[in-house]
Amino acid sequence: MSLTEKPHFRPRTEAISIAGDGVGQFRIVLRRFLRHRTGVVALAVLVALILVAIITPNFWPYQPGEITPDLSVSPSLQHPMGTDALGRDQFAQVLRGLQQSLMIAFSVTIVATLIGTVLGVIAGYFGALVDASIMRLVDLALTLPTLAIAAFLGSVVPAGGVSWVALSLVLGVLMWTSMARLVRGVVMGLRKLPYVDAARTMGARSFRVMFRHLVPNVADHIIVASTLLFGAAILAETGLSFLGFGVQPPDTSLGRLVADSQSAVLTRPWLFYFPGLLIILLVLSVNYIGEGLRDAVNPKSAPVNPLDARSMRSARGVRSRAMGASHPATSPRNQESTVEVSTGRPDSLVEVRDFSVKFAGRPAVDGISLSLAPGSVTALVGESGSGKTMTALSLVGLLPPKAEASGSLEFDGTDLMSLEFEDWRKLRGRRIAMVLQDPSTSLNPVLSIKRQFADQLKMIGLRGQEIRTRAAALLEGVSIREPDRVLNAYPHQLSGGMRQRVVIAMAMAMDPDLIIADEPTTALDVTVQAQVMKTLAAARERTGAAMLFITHDLALVAGVADQVIVMQAGAIVERGDVETIFSRPDHPYTKKLLSLAPDLSQYGSSTSHSEGGK
Amino acid sequence: MIGTILRRLGSAVMVLFLSTMVIFIIVGVSGDPLAELRDRQPPVSESVIAAEEQRLGLDLPITQRYVDWLGGLFRGDFGPSVQPARDIGVELGSRIGVTLQLVSTAVIIAIVLAALAGTISALRQRRWPDVFLTPTAFVLLALPSFWLAVLLKQWGIGINEATGYQVFATVGATSIPAPTEPLAAFLDTAAHMVLPTIVLILVHYAVWSRYQRTAVVESLGSDHVRFAVLRGLPRRTVVWSYVVRPSLVPIVTIVALDLPALFSGAVITETVFQWRGMGVFLLESITLRDTNAVMAWLLVAATAVVLFNLIADLLYLVLDPRVRNVSH
Repeated sequence: MSLTEKPHFRPRTEAISIAGDGVGQFRIVLRRFLRHRTGVVALAVLVALILVAIITPNFWPYQPGEITPDLSVSPSLQHPMGTDALGRDQFAQVLRGLQQSLMIAFSVTIVATLIGTVLGVIAGYFGALVDASIMRLVDLALTLPTLAIAAFLGSVVPAGGVSWVALSLVLGVLMWTSMARLVRGVVMGLRKLPYVDAARTMGARSFRVMFRHLVPNVADHIIVASTLLFGAAILAETGLSFLGFGVQPPDTSLGRLVADSQSAVLTRPWLFYFPGLLIILLVLSVNYIGEGLRDAVNPKSAPVNPLDARSMRSARGVRSRAMGASHPATSPRNQESTVEVSTGRPDSLVEVRDFSVKFAGRPAVDGISLSLAPGSVTALVGESGSGKTMTALSLVGLLPPKAEASGSLEFDGTDLMSLEFEDWRKLRGRRIAMVLQDPSTSLNPVLSIKRQFADQLKMIGLRGQEIRTRAAALLEGVSIREPDRVLNAYPHQLSGGMRQRVVIAMAMAMDPDLIIADEPTTALDVTVQAQVMKTLAAARERTGAAMLFITHDLALVAGVADQVIVMQAGAIVERGDVETIFSRPDHPYTKKLLSLAPDLSQYGSSTSHSEGGK
Repeated sequence: MIGTILRRLGSAVMVLFLSTMVIFIIVGVSGDPLAELRDRQPPVSESVIAAEEQRLGLDLPITQRYVDWLGGLFRGDFGPSVQPARDIGVELGSRIGVTLQLVSTAVIIAIVLAALAGTISALRQRRWPDVFLTPTAFVLLALPSFWLAVLLKQWGIGINEATGYQVFATVGATSIPAPTEPLAAFLDTAAHMVLPTIVLILVHYAVWSRYQRTAVVESLGSDHVRFAVLRGLPRRTVVWSYVVRPSLVPIVTIVALDLPALFSGAVITETVFQWRGMGVFLLESITLRDTNAVMAWLLVAATAVVLFNLIADLLYLVLDPRVRNVSH
């Protein structure tokens, strides 16, 4: 009786996109839902069941409960679901049960959704004490065993039976908690948004803000959750009726029909299977609709799996079902030898030639060529969406699953396009390291820093105390003063700047030949940015590794890079040494980027690499 | 952190207290435990009914009754039953034992299966065996437990008839009289437990495996897994320490919140297989309008909720350093 999956929502990004135009958003959601095949099939099934429940009884020759002279006949044309021992037509009975289940589940959903939404919005909007007391109420409702209370209340209603209204009210009152929690969570995220603030400052009353501005923006989540609630309500009602505490005779429900036919499973199976399978079909279709709606509201990107064994070439080429079965072209053994024996040309560590990445035919990286010399520092500059991150990801073999890569990528003579997971493992960390953008998510939250170093250092044969010593030395290498304290800490105990230093130390741990840094300071405070940049540059200089530095900020580049490559819309629009780019930019896009960069001199003077631009 | 747990426990006991009050009032004002006695033909004399009313405390106002009931609890007394011979406390004890025997086995197996299937399913999204596991979980989610229970019971009977042996026992927790020799007793218990356990396993496996799958999928897409892969860590290390370990944190809460529901879930399973456990106890008490027995049942169920929340908190401490070091 619980929802199938944890409701996931991303209030921040999503809310902003909906905030402006509720109707448009719903149209988009609807269009996405219509593309969800199982969801649409499920919706068709549900609509068909509802129509059957409404229309068929009008012309069906038998009434539910009507006794016919045909006792216990098996399914036939006249009685498509057979008859029971009293001669009642099972089809008529099942239709009545279906009506009951749908009607009750529908009302339960409405009651629970109303209570849950109102309380959830109020809790999320007011926060503090109001929130605390409503959440205690949720706790309270959760301690009450739904089925037991409903059974009890169902049983005390005078003979003549529980009306479906009463049953719906009872179940609805007991099932609102999941909805309240969900709505509260989303509203809490929305509350801080500018447009809510604006409405408030302009003097809108709380009530108006809540129900005019907040509820419409939670509506999509509510719809998904109430769909799942509908399924749960069907199971709850049929379960209660099965126990004899729900719908009372002479009326009937699907649960009651199953209960009545318990002993008939082996002798008159039609009595048992039809109502049961109908419940399954009903709930299954409702759940699949919920799943489809959830995907439509919260479109999932293709599943990300960095452990995927496929090489970029096969991921691109083989889109068929046979995928993963075999890769005759690249046996791991062969690759291993190439990796080790590779002679490579000394003048270029990385060779990218005519390399493209496409998403559904649309290019994100469009036929670029570049080469990185050993020990050089190259800055790859461009706005978001220019393809710079895709270029970086392809150099470590972590393109998103939907990406189609083509062209040639070589690292020290090794063809990167054909590597599979185990081959990549020999390069990653050891020869190519990468520092990601956000240090707050780059480290494993549940392992200590020491343990995370150990996982890595064990691979090069270090044990016990050696690991600690080496890790401490690495941390000192990134200007961390108390390496022992940091080693024993967990990521959440460190500041953002500290974490990024730890990440840099880990990336450096195996003396890589190439470091790829993807906007390594963007997520940090401006005050720590410069320090972290300095640390990174110093660590690189010490190891003599080449670096590919990715950024949208030309100002950062000035002090660090030898070579600058400017990307726009997937293509390289300009490249040159750092002085030339800064003093004589050629391409209008580069000029624009330069004009956006703040005062460059302060960065320029801080390191030894160049005297800065201008 | 210990302070946080104590505070949580305090608030949980508060909630528990309030919930007994709510339930006591709901149960107290709805339905007359003596209705059956009053309706009896030939009529029972007024004095007998008055005596019964007094024995059950029905002549007192509801607040007084609640206070008396609460006082009785502290002395280990669950109050008088409608049936004079019934000692609610003693009976509840044996009933809890029966239910725990059923539920604990099922829960352990279901958790292990769900964790495994959810993880594998997520690691191999949209490929074998996920393409099989995911639809299976969806069908199981839609499967009403009562229908499944009846189906398995009747199939069990069918198999017994077909083979001519008593392979599955479909009634009760043990045979009556139960065999005394240890091996026979074990086999007897096993024969009784198989089918109801399967029902409970399947129902809960479905929900938990979906949660686990979602958690692992989320974990897989996270930056720290990507960074672990970028550091060239062995696949096994990445899967265990970087994908699965962090994903266990959410699943623990979900299971802990679901467990108390197993008591009400067990109502159906116990009813179908006629186990004299907590579930059947509740239904009997409801039928008899035995207010105090219903209260006792609800008290146990609500305590279970509080207890499992506490266990979830403690497990959090073990699994998530962010909670452990909150004082830093």
